[in-house]
Amino acid sequence: MFIEIRNAKKQYGKDEAVVNALDGVDLSIEKGGISVILGPSGSGKSTLMNMLGGIDSLTSGEITVDGKNISKANARELTEYRRDDIGFVFQFYNLIADLTVQENIEVVAEISDSPLNINEVMEALDIEKYKKRFPRELSGGQQQRVAIARAMIKNPKLLLCDELTGALDTKTSRSVLEFVQKVNSQFGTTTVIITHNNAIADMADQVIVIRDGKIVENRKNKNKLPASGLVL
Amino acid sequence: MKLNKRYARSVRANLSFYVAASIMTMTALLAFYLFYIAGIGINSYADEFFSRNKLEDAQFTVYTPLTDEDITSLESKYDVTLEAEQSFDSENDGVTARIFKANQKIDLYEIIEGNDIKEDSDIVISAGYAKANDVSVGDKLTVSGRKFTVTGLFLRPDYLYMLKDLSDSYKNVSTFYLGAVTDSMFSSLNSGPSVTYKVIFGEDSSDTEFRRQLNEDFYLMSYVPAESNARIKMVHDQADTYISWAWMMLILLPLITVILISIVIGRKIRSEQRIIGTLSAFGYKKSALMRHYSLLAMLPGIMGGILISVLCLLIAQPYGELTLIDYEPLQAEFRLPVSAMITGMIVPTVIYMLAAMLKIRKLLKHDTVELLNNSVGKDVKTHKILTNSDKKVRFKFAVRSLIGSKGRTFVVFLGIFLGAMIVSLGLMFSDSVKGIGDAVKSSYGDLEYEYILNTIKTEAPSEGEAVVAAKFENEDSTEFTLMGIGADTQLWELGLTDGGSADLEKGWYASSLCSVVLGIEAGDEITVRSVTTLEEHSIKIEGIIDNGYNSFIVSTRERAEELTGLEHGSYTAIISDKELDIPASEVSSVLTKDTLKEQMDAMLGENNSLIYAILIIAAIICISSLFIAIGLLISENSTNISMLKILGYDNKRISRMLLDMNQVLLIPGIGLGIAAAYAALSAYKDHYAALVNAMLPVELTASQVIITTVFVCICYYGSLYFLKRKVGKVNMAESLMDNRE
Ligand SMILES: Nc1ncnc2c1ncn2[C@@H]1O[C@H](COP(=O)(O)OP(=O)(O)O)[C@@H](O)[C@H]1O
Ligand SMILES: [Mg+2]
Repeated sequence: MFIEIRNAKKQYGKDEAVVNALDGVDLSIEKGGISVILGPSGSGKSTLMNMLGGIDSLTSGEITVDGKNISKANARELTEYRRDDIGFVFQFYNLIADLTVQENIEVVAEISDSPLNINEVMEALDIEKYKKRFPRELSGGQQQRVAIARAMIKNPKLLLCDELTGALDTKTSRSVLEFVQKVNSQFGTTTVIITHNNAIADMADQVIVIRDGKIVENRKNKNKLPASGLVL
Repeated sequence: MKLNKRYARSVRANLSFYVAASIMTMTALLAFYLFYIAGIGINSYADEFFSRNKLEDAQFTVYTPLTDEDITSLESKYDVTLEAEQSFDSENDGVTARIFKANQKIDLYEIIEGNDIKEDSDIVISAGYAKANDVSVGDKLTVSGRKFTVTGLFLRPDYLYMLKDLSDSYKNVSTFYLGAVTDSMFSSLNSGPSVTYKVIFGEDSSDTEFRRQLNEDFYLMSYVPAESNARIKMVHDQADTYISWAWMMLILLPLITVILISIVIGRKIRSEQRIIGTLSAFGYKKSALMRHYSLLAMLPGIMGGILISVLCLLIAQPYGELTLIDYEPLQAEFRLPVSAMITGMIVPTVIYMLAAMLKIRKLLKHDTVELLNNSVGKDVKTHKILTNSDKKVRFKFAVRSLIGSKGRTFVVFLGIFLGAMIVSLGLMFSDSVKGIGDAVKSSYGDLEYEYILNTIKTEAPSEGEAVVAAKFENEDSTEFTLMGIGADTQLWELGLTDGGSADLEKGWYASSLCSVVLGIEAGDEITVRSVTTLEEHSIKIEGIIDNGYNSFIVSTRERAEELTGLEHGSYTAIISDKELDIPASEVSSVLTKDTLKEQMDAMLGENNSLIYAILIIAAIICISSLFIAIGLLISENSTNISMLKILGYDNKRISRMLLDMNQVLLIPGIGLGIAAAYAALSAYKDHYAALVNAMLPVELTASQVIITTVFVCICYYGSLYFLKRKVGKVNMAESLMDNRE
């Protein structure tokens, strides 16, 4: 399996104020597909994604990604892991305000060993025409496409999207999800989409439902839809 | 009111800013206070001491001695107090003792240790010599072959600066002291003492009329007003110099520091605009927000003020005493005046508070929505530079952050500039003082000895050159030496400041020191008068001779004879390139180039404590402003730093991208700092010349530049080293929590 999560636990705070954000998660995800992790707000989705992306470390348990045990990695190894293997897309885009569209992508390309061709990536996300603009001069949907391009430029092994349509209207959301689907098939990147929007599950190969830090459902989706057909 | 809970949290979150800003406020004030404490401490002590011990207004010597009746009649006629002071010099083992008969009316000595004389075998001596040579009360001394017991140590108001001869430039406490013995002992020790008359003017006295009368009736040999008497004026002059340095420091440091910290406070508040917007949306009144933020802003002012006050309580006395090494051991008390302490505490505090209030007012003029979107003060235009460049992204990012955040960049620049300026000012000053000795040598050329004779001679000397030398003054009673020298002189240096050489046949030339002291230039027509006869003459200055160590106006002997009223062919001094065999009885004083050089050299050692103080202040100001500015840079970029970390940048890369660009400020900051120091010292040179009768040879040397650069770079990279750890502390979750740009 590409991703293996074994008895993952994450606690925030201590003593009486302790929160079990992940409460013994076991999960496997195959290479190349799109997985959607569903769950209500506060169920531990972002926590799970932060653990997968090497932003934070588990309290206990193990996570292996492409054979690499990241729960045992030190800070430097985690930095390298994030740099080489992971592409992130967040709800609020989190582009660097002082950099243009192209520069926001280049800033990642510059530290990557084997980046993809930047024009090809910008073309795939249809943002070439804005490449000299600054984030504040773009709409939310456009910004999110830049964020996807920034995540994809390093040709990551794993694309992690946390509520990437959370701040967008349905039309724009659908379009952004189409782009995710497109890069997934074009570059073959294993993709994990985290959302509280059940409708998005229809475009997934694998659907995982999390509640109170526990996996309550984990199924393959036989009748996966193209993103353009989602009823959001 | 919930806002109260934010105080502690806000201070904790910005702790390094509050600490650095407090220290910086404190140090900036310290630079002012150090000089101020020294200046007013000396001045107020001297004023009291002078009036308590009846300091003279002038002293003079005459050819025809005054009788007691003369003194009484002059006193009543001119409303003056007059006293004939008797003294003689006695040498023993290379040490000269100047023994006085105790005065009754003027220039009284004050015992500061031990007791006054009672027996004939008792002596009291000047305290400076005693301290420097470990002579204690109870020790024995030999004067004129007789043994005396030292019963006490004293200070005299006319000898607080211990010059053996009035023409000396530097004190002598190693081989010269004053002593007082009983009247009967005094008479038995010496039958023909020299007499110097001391005078104190009453309210209606006229200095010039009195002097004119003296010259008519008794023929003045010399007349020295207290304002021209280096033994006396040095005290207030040096104190006034400290005070003028203090004001210079005040303009430079606290003012700049306060502006700098105000800028930072403004930016800190702006970076909290979302919180301010939220609070304002919740219905917090403008006044409540202003109160909240201005209270926070007052903190560095209050902390700095308290710290400096405590520090001054501790160091004022020991530090102040360091500034007294030039004088006799004055019993001055040094403390920071309460008014200055309170001003120092209130002024920065109020300014910081106002800076905060103005910023809040400005912010609240914007829409709450704009505040919530964190979009106030984001300068879009300047961020757009370099969009078409192929340079690395991290370079473009750095340039935009440097140019886009002018206030922050200015603070970094100012830190470097101030550090460089203060350090190089200290170095240049110290180098100039060190250089005086050599400059003296070159100004005097081959001339080694100048013998001032006590009689007027006419027959040509067998060796050396005959010259005319007389004390003259300008209309403001500022003294200089009027010289007459053979136009064919081999010894007197005649090089002019603008190149070329003086042609004495053409007229009068002033030395560069004289030109500064009298405030004259080539081409000026000035009125001068003899100090003794007060006869006025008008002369034209043809040029300025390059000599910063002797205040003279010179021409041919003939012209000088005319002005001094001497007969043709007479002279009053002999100059020579070697020691001459002139009977001691004919010589009133000898000036040698070596002693002048030694005196100048001796002055330098004593400026060191001030220089070290300046260096430490420079380091603290430099480091703390860099600390504040770079701390600001990091906190303002915390979202970016956090995002870059998520994208896989390591701390080193992030630091490089964010901080390295500030290096470009090093060169202009250091360069301008050194230039400013040079300009300041050049401007200060004239003031100093009038004070110590020596022009500082202000020079910019490679070593000053190197030391300044190294020093500032150590401060810069040192503070970077510590601040880089702050980059490491930025949490990755930060950009995810706080994510609406
Ligand atoms: N840094 C943190 N400190 C304390 N509690 C946290 C932190 N991050 C998340 N939590 C808590 O962990 C739980 C899961 O949060 P999260 O993973 O963000 O949920 P989701 O993304 O599904 O909304 C929540 O109860 C949340 O309050
Ligand atoms: Mg979440």
